[in-house]
Amino acid sequence: MSLFEKFRPLAQTRAGLGNSGPAPIATPIDRVLSATRGIIDGQEVILAGTNNYLGLTFEPSVIEAASTALAELGTGTTGSRMANGSYADHRALESELAAAFGWPSAMVFSTGYQANLGVLSGLVSEGEYLLVDSDSHASIYDGCRLSQAQTIRFRHNDPENLDRRLARLGEDASKALVVVEGLYSMLGDQPPLDEFVEVKNRHGAWLLVDEAHSFGVFGERGLGLAEQAGLLAEVDFIVGTFSKSLAGIGGFCVSPHADLELLRLASRPYIFTASPSPAVIAATRRALALLVEGSDLRKQLHRNINHLYREVKAMGHELGSADPGPVMAIILPDRMTALAHWRGLLERGVYANLMIPPATPAGLNLLRISLSAAHTEQDIDQIVSALQSMREQVARSATG
Amino acid sequence: MSQLREEVETAIARALAEALPELGDVDPDSALTGDLGLDSVQIMNLVMEIEDNLDLSVPVDVLAEVRTINQLTAQLVKLKEKQA
Repeated sequence: MSLFEKFRPLAQTRAGLGNSGPAPIATPIDRVLSATRGIIDGQEVILAGTNNYLGLTFEPSVIEAASTALAELGTGTTGSRMANGSYADHRALESELAAAFGWPSAMVFSTGYQANLGVLSGLVSEGEYLLVDSDSHASIYDGCRLSQAQTIRFRHNDPENLDRRLARLGEDASKALVVVEGLYSMLGDQPPLDEFVEVKNRHGAWLLVDEAHSFGVFGERGLGLAEQAGLLAEVDFIVGTFSKSLAGIGGFCVSPHADLELLRLASRPYIFTASPSPAVIAATRRALALLVEGSDLRKQLHRNINHLYREVKAMGHELGSADPGPVMAIILPDRMTALAHWRGLLERGVYANLMIPPATPAGLNLLRISLSAAHTEQDIDQIVSALQSMREQVARSATG
Repeated sequence: MSQLREEVETAIARALAEALPELGDVDPDSALTGDLGLDSVQIMNLVMEIEDNLDLSVPVDVLAEVRTINQLTAQLVKLKEKQA
């Protein structure tokens, strides 16, 4: 029997998405022209399906920082942080991340995925508990699998359900790490963080907030949902990524607990991976400075968000979240309608994301649009116009 | 049949009827994915319903070993016994 046999259902799902035009999954982008423009299938399109929330991928000073580091420090570190890959810039970035939060400790990982893998598997072990939101990102679930701890899911964004599960642990709740995200990337919804904080405090549990999609987006200094909610003092760990608002690749964990430093000695995904390249670290340091200073970028992003949400709500689309945020998920009735919307938008010069089960919660079929501070008002108008035109086309075909 | 097993079977049947109302009577040896056609997300949601019904938390790794309804029943009975 072929080892590949088990993948047949996945192949069937992919085949069901058709083979005319660009693939909706792993869409080939021929060339990226700017933070908001690219060429797909020979056509210039607005990129509205990236995570480039602050639009910093082409920011001249970020590119210059990366270029200088590339020329001065070479293309790669060729080793892990534990061996030969701990350069001054890696340590400087960690200091800057910690300083941004006013906390004593920060760790940098080679990807955002590895940050969750490394923190959850290293931090929480046998005889301890991971309580994770059921809509958690795959990196959280995989971190749990790698950990020797017992993993228990609670209902999505449901503090009362978490409360019951912590109560069942009794005194062991003090050995439980609760994991929530600052912004859920599929539906674009946010957790009731204040209620989660109240529950975890009552049971003496620990709290980790994954701010992958909310870092750079929320809070006066862009530190994420916990900052915006005024709850930084209640959080034990914040995990984030460099590959969204920070426009690079990598991940981090910051903590008010100085003992986070000990995790460097125990986290296998941290120990056994090559450290990020000098160019990536230099670009991230510059992007972080811009992010923390970047209230104007955030204001522009939120203007774009409010513009799009206002228009799309008026169209009558069902959305994944009523709260405006950088991710807008339009819920469509079935896979083929979602696919038709995705293709229709691309034909109208807008690249978004098609999201289908099993990657989505509750078996939903989604057209996912993500916004950037670099989008102009005209870009948002074009996205709105493309959505409106697609909605009319679908309505015509339904009645015709 | 023990009272506990009966309670677990009732909770599973109730959650299955909610998830797959067209199903009718189900063979307890049915595989959750192969026979009932549930995907991984649907199985997680099904288990959440059962957890609520039984006032129980089911560790994720327990589910990894479960293929059929009978196996699910056995695991839940074991967890309930431990809870008691």
